[in-house]
Amino acid sequence: MKYQVKPLPQVNLPELRTVGKPLRKVDAMGKAVGDTVYAGDYSMPRMLHGKVFRSKQSSARITRLDVSKARALPGVACVITGFDVPNARLVSDMPGQTGQKQRAGSDVPVLASEQVRFYGEPIALVAAETLEIADKALSLIEIDYEPLPGVYDPLEAMKPGAPIVTPPDNIVARWKIRKGDVESGFEQADLIVENTFRIPYQEHAYLEPEAGVAWIDERGAITIRVSTQVIEHFRTIARAVGVRQNKIHIQGTMVGGGFGGKEDITIEIYLALLAKHTARPVKMVYTREESFLAHAKRHPYVIKHRTGVKKNGQITASKIEMISDSGAYPYLSPYVLLYTTVMAPGPYRINNVQVDAISVATNNPYTSAFRGFGGPQACFAYEQQMDDIARQLGLDPLEVRKVNFLRTGDCTATGQVIESATWLEETATRAMAALGEQTPDYGSVKIGQGFASYFQSYGRITWMHDTSQAWVGLELDGTVTIRAGVPDLGAGQANSLCQIAAEVLGVPLERVTIYTTDSALTPLSGTSTATRQLYMSGNAALMAATAVRNVLLNRASKYFEEDIEALDIADGKAFIKSDPSQTLDLVDLAKMCASEGMHLSNLALFKAPFTDPINPETGQGQVWPDFTFGSFAVEAAVDTETGEVTILKAAACHDIGRAINRAAAEGQIIGGGMQGLGYGLMENLIVKEGVIKTPSLTEYLIPTSMDYPDIQAIILESGTGLGPFGAKGIGEPSLTPAAPAAASAIANALGVSIPEIPITPEKVLAALERA
Amino acid sequence: MKPQMITLHINGRTHYVALNPNLTLLVALRDLGYTDVKSGCEKGDCGACAVFLNGVAVNSCLVLAAQADEGEILTAAGLGTSEHPHPLQTAFSDAGAIQCGYCTPGMIISAKALLDHKPHPTDAEIRDAISGNLCRCTGYAQIIQAVQSAAEKMDAGGEG
Amino acid sequence: MQSEIELHHPKNLAEALTLLAHYGPDGKLLAGGTNMVVELRDGHHNGKSLVDLSHLKELRGISKQDGYIVIGGGTTITELIDHPLIGAHAGILREAARLFANPLVRNRATVAGNLVDASPAADTAPPLLALNAEVQLMSQVATRWIKLEDFITGVRRTLLQPGELLYAIRWPVPSARSAGAYTKVGLRKADAISVLSTAVMVELDDVGVCQQTSIALGAVSPKPFRAHEAEALLKGKVLDSALIAEAARLAAESTRPIDDIRGTAAYRKRVVAVTVRRLLTKAVEVLK
Repeated sequence: MKYQVKPLPQVNLPELRTVGKPLRKVDAMGKAVGDTVYAGDYSMPRMLHGKVFRSKQSSARITRLDVSKARALPGVACVITGFDVPNARLVSDMPGQTGQKQRAGSDVPVLASEQVRFYGEPIALVAAETLEIADKALSLIEIDYEPLPGVYDPLEAMKPGAPIVTPPDNIVARWKIRKGDVESGFEQADLIVENTFRIPYQEHAYLEPEAGVAWIDERGAITIRVSTQVIEHFRTIARAVGVRQNKIHIQGTMVGGGFGGKEDITIEIYLALLAKHTARPVKMVYTREESFLAHAKRHPYVIKHRTGVKKNGQITASKIEMISDSGAYPYLSPYVLLYTTVMAPGPYRINNVQVDAISVATNNPYTSAFRGFGGPQACFAYEQQMDDIARQLGLDPLEVRKVNFLRTGDCTATGQVIESATWLEETATRAMAALGEQTPDYGSVKIGQGFASYFQSYGRITWMHDTSQAWVGLELDGTVTIRAGVPDLGAGQANSLCQIAAEVLGVPLERVTIYTTDSALTPLSGTSTATRQLYMSGNAALMAATAVRNVLLNRASKYFEEDIEALDIADGKAFIKSDPSQTLDLVDLAKMCASEGMHLSNLALFKAPFTDPINPETGQGQVWPDFTFGSFAVEAAVDTETGEVTILKAAACHDIGRAINRAAAEGQIIGGGMQGLGYGLMENLIVKEGVIKTPSLTEYLIPTSMDYPDIQAIILESGTGLGPFGAKGIGEPSLTPAAPAAASAIANALGVSIPEIPITPEKVLAALERA
Repeated sequence: MKPQMITLHINGRTHYVALNPNLTLLVALRDLGYTDVKSGCEKGDCGACAVFLNGVAVNSCLVLAAQADEGEILTAAGLGTSEHPHPLQTAFSDAGAIQCGYCTPGMIISAKALLDHKPHPTDAEIRDAISGNLCRCTGYAQIIQAVQSAAEKMDAGGEG
Repeated sequence: MQSEIELHHPKNLAEALTLLAHYGPDGKLLAGGTNMVVELRDGHHNGKSLVDLSHLKELRGISKQDGYIVIGGGTTITELIDHPLIGAHAGILREAARLFANPLVRNRATVAGNLVDASPAADTAPPLLALNAEVQLMSQVATRWIKLEDFITGVRRTLLQPGELLYAIRWPVPSARSAGAYTKVGLRKADAISVLSTAVMVELDDVGVCQQTSIALGAVSPKPFRAHEAEALLKGKVLDSALIAEAARLAAESTRPIDDIRGTAAYRKRVVAVTVRRLLTKAVEVLK
């Protein structure tokens, strides 16, 4: 073994009955037998089919738009252009939630009417009796463009005289961090290491393209059954459509994969407009190609690191500059940039930090949320930089990191004190140990091992004042009902709440039923984004279930004539801990409570820490509630003649605080890791003059079952997270360290690093020529 | 373009349908209510629409419905119900092999096609058998475990 | 937009040939459909009369006849993998079939469809070229055998005439003193279109002198082709590593690759020299 694995610090986690077990998730069997009705599976009587007419130019003025022939086509119910809905605009960067100034271009027209700023921008909507007629209508829409100069490189877009995507300028967002004094830090350094890293787009490629059905119900409410990560968009939709907020009703479905790509509004706004204009149900399902065109991508970045280090590896100064490509409209770019900015120095104690970050508008596909939200780009850069520091100092990569790793009680670059466990060395040594002995080189194939460590937030930005609600009730037959607005993306968002309630109320998981994701009927639980649902809604469910438990124990205490502390509930029965043979069935207990008018349900609201925004000049302040820490290790074989890379072994070790469902947590770790390996090695969204040249799953390749070995998932549980039972979050963190770990292994094999992903065979051969 | 009358035997039920000759089997199945057959790419890249056609696992998006005239079609929903699931459906549910679930029906078809010919596959054979079924959530490991676990159960005398 | 078509389901080969003769240039063959059905969705072949060959038993089957392996044009890629004659007499074709798209596509896609589609990256073409395969084209009035090498004439262009279908493919049973090797470079390990692919066959005599070789290359020129100059260099000689390296260099020189989303021309040219060298070396080692 390369590294010694030391025992973990002492942790005393109580044994739980349901929480932590790898139980069958409550949503699994419905999906296995095909009962689950996804957004595109639903139909309504008298339903129309909707389609979107999109720009075939990346930057142009629309000089003529004539939809008369399309409108006249028999079977077409309506054609809507931007002139028909001039007030339909979507605010895309959440300024209302942050009190910040609205940025250029953040007020996105739902339909472009005068100018198009990206290839694929929506221009008109069609609803027709059949899909074939809708397609035919699209082909009858006549449009003339006058091409405008476009800008396709963020560095070019910042230059004076560059075409302006949306006045007054192309700067979408800026963040900076000023901590200590970097110049004096560089003076103390024995060595200064400088590198520039290029990190690309990534396409979500969820298996389910965007889909939904909308109709006007008997209340006059526009009801939208849609695959989304955010049912709270009903407010934005109400404003854009011009109705009151309580007249938009979103019924979220089981989501066929989100990964951030269904965080922004997708088709629900088009469905709402078409349903309103036709007063009939309308269905819309994107093709795969349209999905590629229509939704955001992960941001490409250029990140420059300049790091001062002592001979022992201690970092004395870190100066980082970064530029991200926001595409034609900001969407969540300012917030993604904030994440990258604050995570840019990595999980390291550095007294002198300067970060300057800019997000720039271009006529490229727009960019927004994708699992990790700017964290993976930061991690690729800081971990490659750490490897290069180790190489230049002649030190072991782990030794250099150990000197600098954050410890509990340390501050981040923005001055946020980390209060939870920071098991960086623990995770790195375990992930590396799981690889075992390194496979020897053979022929022209060189083999290397490497790892990356990371920190990644869970929970939203604390100055967004995030809350979540959950309702838990005990029924008179001893079953439990949960109501919560959580969208379930398949990661176990809904199941976790069930396992928590089952634990607290002492019933088997099969007795719990959850109703989710309805903006009108379930308490709002916030977005399924930002690795927040277990933390936020898990705590809300824990609070609500605990309140119900307290009612039950109060009544049981009278029945048993024992103190509450002497009682417990398990397997559907209340009992005396010291004499478990004395029991009271939950059904009987529930009936007693009901007949006495006791409240057998509870609606809880959980609040994250609320803070003020960070100082805009220094970046100082709290940004998130807490962080997850972990490491990923890879053994890679590189064919030095063809450049082909084969991953031989991979292991991921994360401190997730506490596993709520062990199989689900492993699923996140393995699945996120696979997405990260794809990002590092294979996934290649090629964009030329704003046009995607890899527009389907034939050209844009994602990992198959043959590409990578099983990722060994190693779960550590420090119990120090802010979530229920000490849980942290793992949805996004699972992806973050995979690509840099693969890059590190390849660099270790070749003796030369490749500062740009994806590491294609051609890049490997080019790097070998440089060496 | 004249509609054609065709007969499809789906999960044991017979449907007589008139449809345009350019429609795929995928569209026909979904229009008939077999929405467990998922549409993910409509060009054979993802496998979400996989069904058995006359005993052979195929992408229903790459077959014209009229080519399946008189054919026997079996979809994932035809394998079992939540009350009486197929061992593969049970194993997928229990192994954590299902996250978003959108790939699951097609994945189960490919897994069954393998087990029909090779009741005791190696992990490598399972990987090959599902290589036309993309999953973006799980990273495949728990799916491979689920297929192994189903193979063991089916061998121990369960249904096939 | 979905193309509007007519679709015909002939009950036997004779009916199919009659339909093809009737429709002439307006007729279009539909075999496994794994490309054709996608093309219909993209609006191609609008107004054509498609003749569905997927049911025709006459087009199926793999057999050994008169010193040839003969396969029906409608043979699926899966059948190639499973059939013992292919394993015994065309290991390189079996290997290419195993790496062809994915199992669900392999269950439908046919050999004839792959060849008639005539993509520069057609997976079955390099091994069949290396095996000296011929294709049998059949119309209502005539049947002709053409060397596969001549059949594919350019990017998605062949000698197939309106009214014809590709009835069968055959190649001489390779000598017992021959061995083959195949490789495909793709951007992932399954279900990938070739960046380049290479198939070789080598036949040595009792004392190790090369009687004949074939070197076939895919995705590095407008059509899959044989590197004859490199092959000629090897004939009548003992294949040592220097000679093999020189043949590989010649083979690479004979390519005319392009830059596309999967790779640059420079990469293809460079790596094809590696794959040819490796495969020739491997084949010679097998024969030793």
